[in-house]
Amino acid sequence: MNLNSYFSNRTFLFSFTSMGVFPTIFVLFLFFTLMCPIIHAAGSDETGAINCNIQESACTQSLGDGTVTLDIFPKPVKAMADLTFELILSGLTLTTAPYIDLGMPGMKMGPNHVLMKPSDQKHTYTGTGIIVRCPSGRTIWKADVTLPGVGSVEYVFDVIY
Amino acid sequence: MFSMSSTSPLSIVFLTAGFTVGFGHCIGMCGPIAVSLSLNMKGNNRILPHLLYNVGRVITYTILGALMGLTGSFTGLTAHMAGLQKGIMIFAGMIILVMGAAMAGWLKIGPIFGDYASPSGLFSRGFYRLSRAGSATTYLPLGLLLGLLPCGPVYTALIAAARSGMEAPSPLAGAVNGASVMACFGIGTIPALFLVAKLADLGWLKARQTFYRFGGFLMVLVGAYFVYKGIRY
Repeated sequence: MNLNSYFSNRTFLFSFTSMGVFPTIFVLFLFFTLMCPIIHAAGSDETGAINCNIQESACTQSLGDGTVTLDIFPKPVKAMADLTFELILSGLTLTTAPYIDLGMPGMKMGPNHVLMKPSDQKHTYTGTGIIVRCPSGRTIWKADVTLPGVGSVEYVFDVIY
Repeated sequence: MFSMSSTSPLSIVFLTAGFTVGFGHCIGMCGPIAVSLSLNMKGNNRILPHLLYNVGRVITYTILGALMGLTGSFTGLTAHMAGLQKGIMIFAGMIILVMGAAMAGWLKIGPIFGDYASPSGLFSRGFYRLSRAGSATTYLPLGLLLGLLPCGPVYTALIAAARSGMEAPSPLAGAVNGASVMACFGIGTIPALFLVAKLADLGWLKARQTFYRFGGFLMVLVGAYFVYKGIRY
């Protein structure tokens, strides 16, 4: 069969479209949609990304010429519980209060802001928030700390469900 | 009176969040339920059941939002809901599992959610009566129930609903604010789940037994996973 007659065969093209490419795409769609919760949970080994052992102590990161220290109380840090977030700044001056965005690495969880207010202690801000529980079983969470006009730092840590 | 001026922007934020989270999260975590329902539908009218299912979900979210706004407490209410949510997750898993097994031909009960469903046996009849799609309105209570499924982004929106209640001048205003936030969030999630459901609702797939059974096999796996996660939740 020469190439011309091969591709001019409408029956073949029809069968190729309806039985070959389309079903393959569809089966892949079906597979990934149905298996997504399992795939997502199976790929939960993100321990390498953790940069903060919040269950044990506060975590400090450098930002510009200073440092930002995050701590969360009470410990152990559990999901679905009222938590107090504390930020201690060193070598940084703010004109606007910082805020924290809580989320999960690689998974959209919706906006979860923790608004921080200056505390009695100098260069210290506190706020209350809640880390929610993901039914996938993944326990790695992140806190993006934004210091308006200065920059932001990310803390990735493990929480207890 | 209801301080809607301060809540409206929050509602818009969560309408947008619902839309983006819908495509980024709900398709992955709740998509299997929408796909399972689609694959089991055999009737001609397949838009109305999905619409009713989603409306049911949004109503549940709205009621939860109102309760959060009324009490102004997220943790207080979710602590009481945990047991119920665990049961609903197991129930959802069992529905998917049984539907999948029926599709794969391992359970001889026919399509549970279909217009031509002809169940036999106590268990099958129970599922059939629960979710009989001869009248598509059955999908509304199903949506109402499955709206209680534990879900990270729903919890996040509920936190905002509780906060909006705390900032409201009265408990009633708080309830309205909370309901508004959650209704907007729920509406925002509809396009993604509706799209997934419609994509899985192609007639030619159901006419091909191999693919249909493959879908059933996947549903059994994901149903078992839901049950397992529900037990561990």
